[in-house]
Formats: sequence, C-alpha cells, structure tokens
Amino acid sequence: MNQVIKDFKNGLWQENPIFRLVIGMCPTLAVTNTATNGLAMGLATSFVLISSEIVISLIKKLIPTNVRIPSYILVIATFVTFTDYFLKAFFPSIASSLSLFIPLIVVNCLILGRQEAFASKNPVHRSFADGVGMGIGFTWALVLLGSVRELLGMGSIFGLQILGEWYRPMIIMILPAGAFISLGILVGIMNLISRKVN
Amino acid sequence: MENSTSRLILTLTVIGVISALVLTFVFQWTTPLINKHKAVAQEKAIFSVLPGAVEIKKHDKNGNTFFTGYDKSGSKVGIAMVTEGGGFQGVIKLMIGTDLDQGKIYGIKILEHQETPGLGARITGEEYKSNFVDKPFGSYQVIKKSSSNPLDIEAIAGATISSKKVTNIVQNAVQEIEKAFGGGE
Repeated sequence: MNQVIKDFKNGLWQENPIFRLVIGMCPTLAVTNTATNGLAMGLATSFVLISSEIVISLIKKLIPTNVRIPSYILVIATFVTFTDYFLKAFFPSIASSLSLFIPLIVVNCLILGRQEAFASKNPVHRSFADGVGMGIGFTWALVLLGSVRELLGMGSIFGLQILGEWYRPMIIMILPAGAFISLGILVGIMNLISRKVN
Repeated sequence: MENSTSRLILTLTVIGVISALVLTFVFQWTTPLINKHKAVAQEKAIFSVLPGAVEIKKHDKNGNTFFTGYDKSGSKVGIAMVTEGGGFQGVIKLMIGTDLDQGKIYGIKILEHQETPGLGARITGEEYKSNFVDKPFGSYQVIKKSSSNPLDIEAIAGATISSKKVTNIVQNAVQEIEKAFGGGE
C-alpha cells in the first residue's frame, strides 16, 4: 500500500511531468492560453494516460519486446480517438477549442514515456497509481500555466474578469511566445522552492 | 520464439482488430450526437442572422446552399448562406444573412476559424461583427480608424489581415446571393 501511495505522489511534485521531467511540451505550450483550456487538456490527457497504463500493464507479458512501441501507440491511439469523439458528442464547446490538440495526445511523450518507464514493468495497481499521480501533476501544472497566461494576457482566470479596466492586457502572454516565457519562469520558481525545501 | 516474425504480426493484428472493434462501437454511439450538435449550431446561426425569422426553407442554387427565412405572418425575411474562405490561419467559415429587398446585410456569424486567440479571434466579437449589421450591398473598404462612410469596415487593431479576409468572404457571399436571387425574385 505504501508503495502505491509513493507511486501516486511521485507525479505530483517529485517527478512532475511538466516542471520536473519537462515532457509533454507540445500541448503544454500550445493550449494553455486560458485556464479552462489547460484544465480540459489536462483531464483529457489524464484519461488517456490512466486508461492506457492500465491496459498496457495488463497485456505487457503478451507483447513481444520488438513490437512494444507500435503496440503501445495503438492502445494509446484507441483511447485518444475515443476521447476525441466523446468530447465532440458531449462537450462540443470544449472540443472546438481543443480540436487540433486532442489527436496530438497520441504522440504526447508523457504518455508513451510512462508506458515505457512504468506500466510495462509494474503491476496494474501500481500503474494505475502512477497514471493518476502523473495525470493530476500534469493537470495542475497546465491549469497554473493557463491561469498565469490568461491573467496577464486577458485579465481573467477561467473566463472571470479579475483585473479591471485599468489593466492593459499583454497580448504576448496568450501567444506562443508567452507560453515559453511563463513556463521558463515557473520552472525556475519550482527549482527555487525545491532547493529551499532540501 | 518471443520475437519470431509470426508472433510480431499476430500481436499487432490482434491489437489492431480489438482497437477497430472498440472504435466502431464508439463511432456509432457518438456520430448521431455530433451531427445533432452541428445541425443545432447551424440552425441557431441562421436564426441569429435573419432577425424575426421563424421558419427556414433550404434550397440549392448555382452549387451553393441558401436558406430563406420567413416570419410569423409568412412573409420573406431574407436569405442566409454558409460561406467560407481563407483567413490569416486556416479557413474561416461564416453565416451571412441578407435582406435582398432593401439590399443590405442583416449580420454575420463566424462558425469556424483558426485565427490567433486574442487578436484575429476577435472577428467573433460583437464589436467587429457589428460592422456588418445593416450594411448596404456594395464594395467594402477596410480602414483602420472609424469613419462615417457606410461602406467602410473598421479593422480590429492588431488584426488587419483577419479583418480584411472576413470582409472579402462577406463581399463574395453578397455577390453570390445577388447572382442567385438578383433580378427581382
């Protein structure tokens, strides 16, 4: 049980996919221009990550090592396509703002990386814990990044106007360049905190 | 044995078949819902660009699909059409509603676009779209400051290209509608 909790906590901070491992950068940089988009992308990725970690951990013994990567990709792609259709059918507004980036989850190296590094070597319950932890770690990082960019770029968070009329939005923050700037500063802050803690 | 060719082929085939089965099921389950959302969105767009319309009739002419709106008393409100063209990034698809009798545009609604968030994406905002409300048919000019000329379209600051592209699409749509229905229909 202790091991499971450790696996779960791992992704939250110690090995946070965005701030620590710095993987899965494509969606991180592309869709975090608002907090809502960050949250939706985080949840969609988490769903794919958890489901594929479970399936791959279950079938790991049946997959010959030579074709493990194509097998993982097939499993991941199945879940991604499912997510794509599901969002389009039940959450059309979120689907339209994420449209292009959902199919890209297939090649998100966070997901393939966790299959290779964790699910293919560990039992189902530990893979599940790892998926949930990594998923939450990924989601909170995207929401934080999205909130910072939305606040500075549009003066709002989750669509709620926070800064008043006096604030002149820095449009660069919601453009791609703003993603690099805020990510760099946030990673720096995280490193500073870790160093203080240690 | 582990890595024999037949074993590799078999593994990938089995995974592929299972994946295809799952997705076939998902596809059948979600497609009707997705189509419904699309139809609802289009219908909403038609009503929003034809004020007062309660009934819509669809007809094809010259390779385009037009929607004629009728009000409560059954008289014709105007004609709407879906049209698209290139934007600053990707295709912009919009719905335009026109009043042929008075020769003016009722308004436009952007259906799909991939313009830059915060800049070009403001073509979906009321401030820019209001440019086209009650605009007479004619040759439009995109300008950067406000003017009293009825044929001028005020560009969005920082998104002149997007503003021009939308204006072009609207211009073409007006011509298509006039071509299809002009001559006193």
